[in-house]
Amino acid sequence: MNKLDTLPKKKILSLFMTCGFPTLDQSKKIFNEILSHQPDIIEFGLPFSDPMADGPIIQEANKLALRSKLSTQKSLNLITELSKSKNNTAFVIMCYLNTIRKFGLNKFIKNIKSIVDGIIIVDLPFEEEGEIKKSLSKNNIHLIKLISPMTDKKRSKKLLKDSKGFIYYISATGITGSNRLDYKEINKNVQSIKKMSSVPVLVGFGIKSKKDVVNISNKTKADGVIIGSALIQKYFDLKMDFNKYLKKLNKFIKEVKV
Amino acid sequence: MKKYKQPSTIGRFGEFGGMYVSETLMPLLLNLDKSYKKIQKDKKFKKELNDLFKNYVGRPSSLHYAKNLSKYINGPKVYFKRDELNHTGAHKINNCLGQILLAKKMGKTRIIAETGAGQHGVATATVCALFGLPCYIYMGSKDIERQKPNVFRMKLLGATIIPVESGSKSLKDAMNEALRDWIKNVRDTFYIIGSTAGPHPYPKMVRDFQSVIGKEAREQILKVEKKLPDYLIACVGGGSNAMGLFYPFLNDKNVKIIGVEAAGKGAKTEETAATMTSGTPGILHGSYSYVLQDNDGQIKEAHSISAGLDYPGVGPEHSHLKDIKRVKYFGVTDKEALKAFQTCSKLEGIIPALEPSHALAYLIKAFKNKHKNKVVILNMCGRGDKDLFTAAKAIGFDADE
Repeated sequence: MNKLDTLPKKKILSLFMTCGFPTLDQSKKIFNEILSHQPDIIEFGLPFSDPMADGPIIQEANKLALRSKLSTQKSLNLITELSKSKNNTAFVIMCYLNTIRKFGLNKFIKNIKSIVDGIIIVDLPFEEEGEIKKSLSKNNIHLIKLISPMTDKKRSKKLLKDSKGFIYYISATGITGSNRLDYKEINKNVQSIKKMSSVPVLVGFGIKSKKDVVNISNKTKADGVIIGSALIQKYFDLKMDFNKYLKKLNKFIKEVKV
Repeated sequence: MKKYKQPSTIGRFGEFGGMYVSETLMPLLLNLDKSYKKIQKDKKFKKELNDLFKNYVGRPSSLHYAKNLSKYINGPKVYFKRDELNHTGAHKINNCLGQILLAKKMGKTRIIAETGAGQHGVATATVCALFGLPCYIYMGSKDIERQKPNVFRMKLLGATIIPVESGSKSLKDAMNEALRDWIKNVRDTFYIIGSTAGPHPYPKMVRDFQSVIGKEAREQILKVEKKLPDYLIACVGGGSNAMGLFYPFLNDKNVKIIGVEAAGKGAKTEETAATMTSGTPGILHGSYSYVLQDNDGQIKEAHSISAGLDYPGVGPEHSHLKDIKRVKYFGVTDKEALKAFQTCSKLEGIIPALEPSHALAYLIKAFKNKHKNKVVILNMCGRGDKDLFTAAKAIGFDADE
């Protein structure tokens, strides 16, 4: 069974975290902390040297993870290990295509099959997805679709045809972690998406606080939010004091779990 | 031989190329592709571009018979296609003019670009000054350090330079940051990519705008030699000057074509930029092509004394031409390029940029006492003024005195 098929109807919470950040051992602790709150979805970011669609915070997290020699295999092992203590939380991988290509698509799928429910390949647009989508779907892993404010109706329709899991709506025409949220525009676009698809729509990019989460819930028809950069940012805010960071993470997740 | 017809409508050169970008950029690229297709048929656009080529850039660039160098090599007759005589000192301006006209047509009001050696940055700043558009140039801080004259040029031309501190602080990272800027400012911004790299339609578009080099060279050589050249040689970083020269000759099967990459301290060392000699196919900056990467697909940092070749990727069309064996690619080290830089200066009175110095080094090495009665065209794609400090330091000359 795919856990993304049984997401709650409202207020879905998806938390993103880079694998292996800041080190592999500390990363395990971070993910265990996140998992203990039982969010609806955890997104595991696989570090990439050139994350061109991510902002400076996630880029820095990637850099730290790679500096401690994190390999794709180690990331996948970490996810596998964590899956043993997962309950209702859906697991999603977020990565760049080159990581999968170099690892080998079949080997990659073999590693994550029946552990991971969905995958977001940031730089794999609809036009290029063919083979990959087929292989994933054969193994009951959903390929999550991203829709941006630049995606027009005609294109959205094509993209959303038989979409599964959830739809990732990019709230700002910005990279992850940018700061403007235009609720009116978000709501307009979310509603338009919902007319074309019955899959939950989650809003991501630029969601930083409890206030943002509440606003998305009250002012838009979105089914939930994705928080990523804000989770990582706190590590740097606390001058990389890991113990303080874990405590802060605990407090923050409690806050945003409205 | 089957007629060469690449890329496909979705930007594939064989299996290479494509559009690997986030959904924020996809609609833009598709729109850009559409607009580009439209202006290709636009006679007014063509006329405007040709006028600028002639009166602003100084085209056609001459084809110079390098007599002294030919004598020194004791092999073929060597001609330089002198794109270093262009306004701004390199071939980069050809593409920038084409793209800024397109940006104007698309109603964009803000221009961004990445630069390595600074030549593309200077060319972009130049066309922005000419057309009165604000210009933002992303440049690695390492490159800012080694290309100071060009940094000052860009500032004089009114451009804002944004130093990039991430990664290797050179061209690759500048391109990452420029792409990030574009994602953030998709609505009003046009990204002028300077090489035949990046997602479709850039590799095709840049090649088309640069192919004026090869078209002219073809006419010029037919006039003086009454035949096509036996060899073409050009340096390859991302590959725009090379594609510009090669493209109009790809169907001439008797013309042998050679691309020269920067091998840094050696193609087999870790300090290299010889993507096709030392790399494997992968995805970088939105396109599938040869890249320098590790076993996990992490992109490696490139190394070359020449900032313009210091890039761990290469344009997808070059990857295709390598795989179908239409073009042969070789690596040349920093040391060899520096030597050729001096040889050419002394023998021909032309101070080449460090980029074409790589092509020169290969020519001198591989053609010495060989290929007599043959004709070679080498793309002299940039002049060496910008490299004087770097070269002086490497040669051991105190330029501050």
